[in-house]
Amino acid sequence: MTRAHRQRHLLIWLILTPVIAIILWQSLLHRPEAPVNDSLPPLLTEEAG
Amino acid sequence: MAASYKIVTWTPFKKRFDLWLLVGIAVYLVTFILITSLSQPVDETFTPIQMLMRAFGTLAFLLLSFILCIGPLARLTLRFKPFLYNRRHLGVTTFFVALFHAALSTLWYHGFSDVNPFLSIFVSNPRYDSIAGFPFESLGFVALFILFLMAATSHDFWNANLGPRLWKTLHMLVYLAYGLLVAHIALGAIQFEKDPIYVALLGGSAAIVAALHLLTALKPSGHITQAPATDWIEVGPAGDMVDAKARIIRPRSGEAIAVFRDGQTVAAVSHVCRHQGGPLGEGLVIDGCVTCPWHGFQYRLTDGTSLPPFTEKVATYPTRIENGIVYVRAIPDPPGTPQTPSIIRAARV
Repeated sequence: MTRAHRQRHLLIWLILTPVIAIILWQSLLHRPEAPVNDSLPPLLTEEAG
Repeated sequence: MAASYKIVTWTPFKKRFDLWLLVGIAVYLVTFILITSLSQPVDETFTPIQMLMRAFGTLAFLLLSFILCIGPLARLTLRFKPFLYNRRHLGVTTFFVALFHAALSTLWYHGFSDVNPFLSIFVSNPRYDSIAGFPFESLGFVALFILFLMAATSHDFWNANLGPRLWKTLHMLVYLAYGLLVAHIALGAIQFEKDPIYVALLGGSAAIVAALHLLTALKPSGHITQAPATDWIEVGPAGDMVDAKARIIRPRSGEAIAVFRDGQTVAAVSHVCRHQGGPLGEGLVIDGCVTCPWHGFQYRLTDGTSLPPFTEKVATYPTRIENGIVYVRAIPDPPGTPQTPSIIRAARV
């Protein structure tokens, strides 16, 4: 692994780690109390059913 | 690597590895479906299709998480080297597992609409400003497209044609794909899945992958010496060098040098493998050849050339031993230049 490659790896993970942590944190914070699949249009899911 | 040669040959080991991989996938899918069926709450009934979606989806995420752990783990322990050599097979398999998940989901949730199913993924739910209702499938679609690009170019033919630098850059998009997948699951299944095991699997896997990458990126590799700006750099006492292993020297300018001991001789080559820039100095000398720990590419220690029919060459560096101390010249000889290894025993006499 070249020096530049190692530094690029480090930079990527220094950026990606907090981004992933924030996404996880926010997704749990905004989780509906009564979990339902509201991300899909009801019409589509009904139709599929 | 010349484009006409195939380094990824189907050796008996690779056949066994792939067989075990397929058996493992089958066992996971059956176990997942059985456990989901038996533990299903009375008020909630998953259809077999939905169970398959979940099974393939979780498997694809776990496989990708494992693949991303292989590189750092192989740098920490030799036990993971076999996985490193077969990482491409795992990657292509992961793409197909993810493709099954995507195909089932797209057909099930978007296949019955008048809108084109692929368009429907992006437009049927316009709540891009919401967290709980975000159209998470679009994130999965982009991640799958990246995995497709990687699977399609997972062959040395493409490595040779695109060049190692572009090929490696393309394949580093896997980190973006992983971030998108974490978001896909966090904004998707986690929003409506009651079982905490999904949160634990997602958070735990992402934390392990990130921690391993940061740990190994910050950890200095092997015996690294920052060399002063001189022509000849002191490597250290010859007697302290471990047989078949290298000390890595980083000159003030230029790439790192791997100074290997092979029995009673010492010789130096470039630390950077010509295949994909792997760390040659972290590999071993096997039968007189430096073996890259990433994909097993080999170079003769005496002249830095690959064994026929391969044609790669790495730079060599003159060495000398004075009063039991090994020195290496900071200026490389052209790739493939024969060198006379320094002899440890003779130097002690």
